[in-house]
Amino acid sequence: MVIATDFDPPPPTAPKPNGNGNGFQPAIYVYEFPVRIWHFVNAFAIAALLVSGYFIGSPPPTLSGEASDHFLMGYIRFTHFAAGYILIIGMAARTYWAFVGNKHALEIFAPPILTAKFWDNTWHEFKRYVFLEKEGRKYVCHNPIAVLTMHFMFLWGITFMIFTGLALYGEGTGMGTWQHTLFTSWIIPIFGNSQNLHTFHHLAAWSILIFVMIHVYGAVRDELLGHQSIFSTIVSGYRTFKSPGKPEDMDRA
Amino acid sequence: MDETFYDVLRRQGVSRRSFMKFCSLTAAALGLGPQLAPTLAHALETKPRIPVLWLHGLECTCCSEAFIRSAHPLASDVILSMLSLDYDDTIMASAGHQAEAIVEEIVTKHKGNYILAVEGNPPLNEDGMYCIIGGKPFVEQLKYAASNAKAVISWGSCASWGCVQAAKPNPTQAVPVHKVIHDKPIIRVPGCPPIPEVMTAVITYILTFERIPELDRQGRPKMFYSQRIHDKCYRRPHFDAGQFVEAWDDENARKGYCLYKMGCKGPTTYNSCSTTRWNGGVSFPIQAGHGCIGCSEDGFWDNGSFYDRLTNIKQFGVEENADVIGATAAGVVGAAIAAHAAVSAIKNARSKGDNE
Amino acid sequence: MATISTPNGFTLDNSGKRVVVDPVTRIEGHMRCEVNVDDDNVIRNAVSTGTMWRGLEVILKGRDPRDAWAFTQRICGVCTGTHALTSVRAVEDALKIDIPENANIIRNIMQLTLQTHDHLVHFYHLHALDWVNPVSALKADPVATSELQKKVSPHHPKSSPGYFRDVQNRLKKFVESGQLGPFKNGYWSNPAYLLPPEANLMAVTHYLEALDFQTHIMRIRTIFGGKDPHPNWLVGGVPSVINIEGPGASTSINMERLNMVRSIINQSIEFVENVYIPDLLAVAQFYKGWLYGGGLSSKNVLSYGDIPDRANDYSAESLLQPRGAIINGNLKEVFPVDLRDPNEIQEFVPHSWYAYADEKKGLHPWDGVTEPNFKLGPNLVGTRTNIKEIDESAKYSWIKAPRWKGHAMEVGPLARYVIGYAKGDKEITEQLTLVLKTLDVPVSALFSTLGRTAARGLECQWAARKMSYFLDKLIANVKAGDTATANTASWDPSTWPAEVKGVGFTEAPRGALGHWIKIKNGKIENYQCVVPTTWNGSPRDNEGNIGAFEAALLNTKVERAEEPVEILRTLHSFDPCLACSTHVMSEDGRELAEVTVR
Repeated sequence: MVIATDFDPPPPTAPKPNGNGNGFQPAIYVYEFPVRIWHFVNAFAIAALLVSGYFIGSPPPTLSGEASDHFLMGYIRFTHFAAGYILIIGMAARTYWAFVGNKHALEIFAPPILTAKFWDNTWHEFKRYVFLEKEGRKYVCHNPIAVLTMHFMFLWGITFMIFTGLALYGEGTGMGTWQHTLFTSWIIPIFGNSQNLHTFHHLAAWSILIFVMIHVYGAVRDELLGHQSIFSTIVSGYRTFKSPGKPEDMDRA
Repeated sequence: MDETFYDVLRRQGVSRRSFMKFCSLTAAALGLGPQLAPTLAHALETKPRIPVLWLHGLECTCCSEAFIRSAHPLASDVILSMLSLDYDDTIMASAGHQAEAIVEEIVTKHKGNYILAVEGNPPLNEDGMYCIIGGKPFVEQLKYAASNAKAVISWGSCASWGCVQAAKPNPTQAVPVHKVIHDKPIIRVPGCPPIPEVMTAVITYILTFERIPELDRQGRPKMFYSQRIHDKCYRRPHFDAGQFVEAWDDENARKGYCLYKMGCKGPTTYNSCSTTRWNGGVSFPIQAGHGCIGCSEDGFWDNGSFYDRLTNIKQFGVEENADVIGATAAGVVGAAIAAHAAVSAIKNARSKGDNE
Repeated sequence: MATISTPNGFTLDNSGKRVVVDPVTRIEGHMRCEVNVDDDNVIRNAVSTGTMWRGLEVILKGRDPRDAWAFTQRICGVCTGTHALTSVRAVEDALKIDIPENANIIRNIMQLTLQTHDHLVHFYHLHALDWVNPVSALKADPVATSELQKKVSPHHPKSSPGYFRDVQNRLKKFVESGQLGPFKNGYWSNPAYLLPPEANLMAVTHYLEALDFQTHIMRIRTIFGGKDPHPNWLVGGVPSVINIEGPGASTSINMERLNMVRSIINQSIEFVENVYIPDLLAVAQFYKGWLYGGGLSSKNVLSYGDIPDRANDYSAESLLQPRGAIINGNLKEVFPVDLRDPNEIQEFVPHSWYAYADEKKGLHPWDGVTEPNFKLGPNLVGTRTNIKEIDESAKYSWIKAPRWKGHAMEVGPLARYVIGYAKGDKEITEQLTLVLKTLDVPVSALFSTLGRTAARGLECQWAARKMSYFLDKLIANVKAGDTATANTASWDPSTWPAEVKGVGFTEAPRGALGHWIKIKNGKIENYQCVVPTTWNGSPRDNEGNIGAFEAALLNTKVERAEEPVEILRTLHSFDPCLACSTHVMSEDGRELAEVTVR
């Protein structure tokens, strides 16, 4: 099933097929509108969660005056919870889109780890990142290293944060609420106590930050040195290529 | 003749009429319907006080001390009128063989009709001989006493979780009661010690409603352990406002601001200290100026200093808090990225030069 | 062995009938006692065994020294807080932290509250049933009991015949129910019980009154420490803040809180003076012929002293509880005690379930090594996990044998009172003189089970009065404008020297208590506690000196060998606390780091 959206821009004027002389792969529509909007909403939510989460763990200096004059920690926590819900809803929608969107939408959810080609490409890209290989290969979607980072660091990391986050939230909403019943009631015993749960939620947040750093750096680097467009793609949805030849994941794509 | 619950009430000046009224209300509370009130009355009139065996393993006796500090009901009323505390080595008159004989008598004569209360826990190392009762390992006495018990009450954090002697490296291999008793309902009443009035309330609940209280997944009575101290703390408005004690005895401490930054574990501790309070409702740790140390939580001894807000991760052989670990890792990754970017730029420039 | 003489002047003969008491009840923790009685039912050999070990000191290694009070406080929930106080003093000694005057006063009030409460509860709920027979109380005449009450304590309001009749009826119902609860299987037909029914009824009544009243006493500690048992403490001062009239005062130490403390102190003094002391004297009158149980008390006694009148001054001059040691019964000379001197306090293990590299030597706590070594001797009757009769010629206890300059010492209220008396302490001498005169007994009567029990009662009275003294002092200090309760200059571990060590001490209700700590890079490197029951419950050392429990039991005549009333009486007079007798071990049997004694 393909859900068409009005926001999908018309494809650029039909390029000539390969063999038109320069051998460039024509632009491919990769990131559909929901994926693009989710990407930025999600990035914003993660930024808000990291900042507000840090201040929940290490609050800013005390404010003077009556307690009733202020609600600073309340606002910080509200930000955290609101951003958390946005992230969760976004992730739910993105997961849905993985199945109903185009083929690329599924990639980070189900990396083709059972194909030899995927690992060959992974090895190649790894060598490129450690400067043993001069040129990267071309990909319609992510390069395999990016796929693995997205899958393991981001997807599983965020899933861990959502489960532990809802378990912590359920502590406040209390017994009998869905957050407590579905999450808190069984997750706290796994961690032994609430404090350990807080600690690991906090630690995993740092791993998300590290993912963001790697993700942004990889994007910048490939935009500058790689053979395909990165930034414009996440904005427009279209992947364009800077050198001739067929992308590695063209068959899947 | 054994004294019944009815006798006790009559002795305490409760009239027959009030007694019947109590029975109707209790029947209703139990969801039995008014027609069952006479049955209940009959049961209460003829039922002797329930025997209780109160065993002590590796412990510090703080649970017993807490129990006798209960303001309502007073320990004297519990002991004389509500139950029959037949064995408790801290207060019992007899000793040695005569004391041991009581355990045997209760276990054999009151099969399935006595409560086993345990304070402390059994050590398993050295064949259990880190705690010896009657020349034998305590764990044997515990298993024997539990064999015919109706239910088991694990008093305090020792019996419930392991507590201080089970803190790392747990040299005696002390384990909580539920690790050695598997076939009995166990009510865990954690705390180091539990709140005195919570202890007596759990007992009187069982006697009044004739059932064990509703427990959460970790076996704690929901009525006292389902909310965090933070949820009901009177200093919570200062937390929400972002007003904290920044150092001991500072101006903020004198104003009663939130102790979060001093390492208060109220936000992660399930107990009713901030509502029930301690020793007849006089105060509780946060009111007296010190943060909660989380004494009713499993493993609270091994969460790093009581004065740190962020606690140590100890699972991977490191001993640092999440921020130190996370910031270090982020720093390393950041440096690696910078180095990588620099090398990439140089290589790129060189290859461009080659091309020209 | 038939008969041997110990270097500290006792004769042991284990040829007679062996009597085993395990568990010894109405104590804190777990203990076993074995004695040999001769044909005349006189105890000729006594063996006391600590039967539990928790290893708290090894658990402390590598932890934050500022947390140590909480761990050590859990050594004992009966003398709750005294280990915590000792611990914060040890850390403050190591880091050279001076605490504010108010903190010292509040700590003293908390420690005195403990002494008042602990002694009262010990007398009525752990000790009284050795002297008082609740079953005999059923035969009492309430009118005569009322008269007795008015005679021994004219100011106690609860003294009417009707009151005693009500209590008696309640007791009667209880006994007739057949469910005797804590009184089950007691030795109620034993002729060792000497009180007439009226005295028994009066004492049982007060057993219940005291059980109800004691709930109030510790509320003082709830006010300053937040909860009890196990209130909260702080390195550098106390966690409670003083704010008498500023904003937020309602949540700190304010006028209402001070009034509550005042009220509880007054009630406590009244209860001790109108109930406890009169009961003690009334019971003692009937037993003053029973002068067994002196043991070491007339020979070697030790006290570190406590309750510093001036903050941060732990010299004998500042301490309101006396400090010193008496040896060989020479009351004319009280020796100074130095907890830092490697040759004064040492622990030995030849008869303890621990191993030393050289068990002939003792080790000062700063050099302390403990490695559990559960071994039973060749003459054991029974098996490793089913001990019928223990072999005292080998290792036989989880308690080490501490010695002061090689001497086994008795510690506790009687030791403090003997030392105070020898030093001419005015308050102690007055109290003792009054008691000896009232009972019409010589000073030598002090060195007995009863003397120990009496000293505890007198100390309870002293402690209750001193609470009032310190509350006045606190209010005066606050009035003078000093409201500080904590010194946080050295709170942050990054400000500490790389390696330091310290020692802290208190007089726990049961006797002299010391903690030795070594701190390295902000963490605990070594922690050792030598506790009162380690002194009193000590097994033999390599010279063969016996400890205070064993010495006190010798030569006691028992009425019925199979009913250990007399044994319990004497053991209880020490108020044993077995959970305290925990010791450190290295995790894998390695010797703990060497510590140089400064």
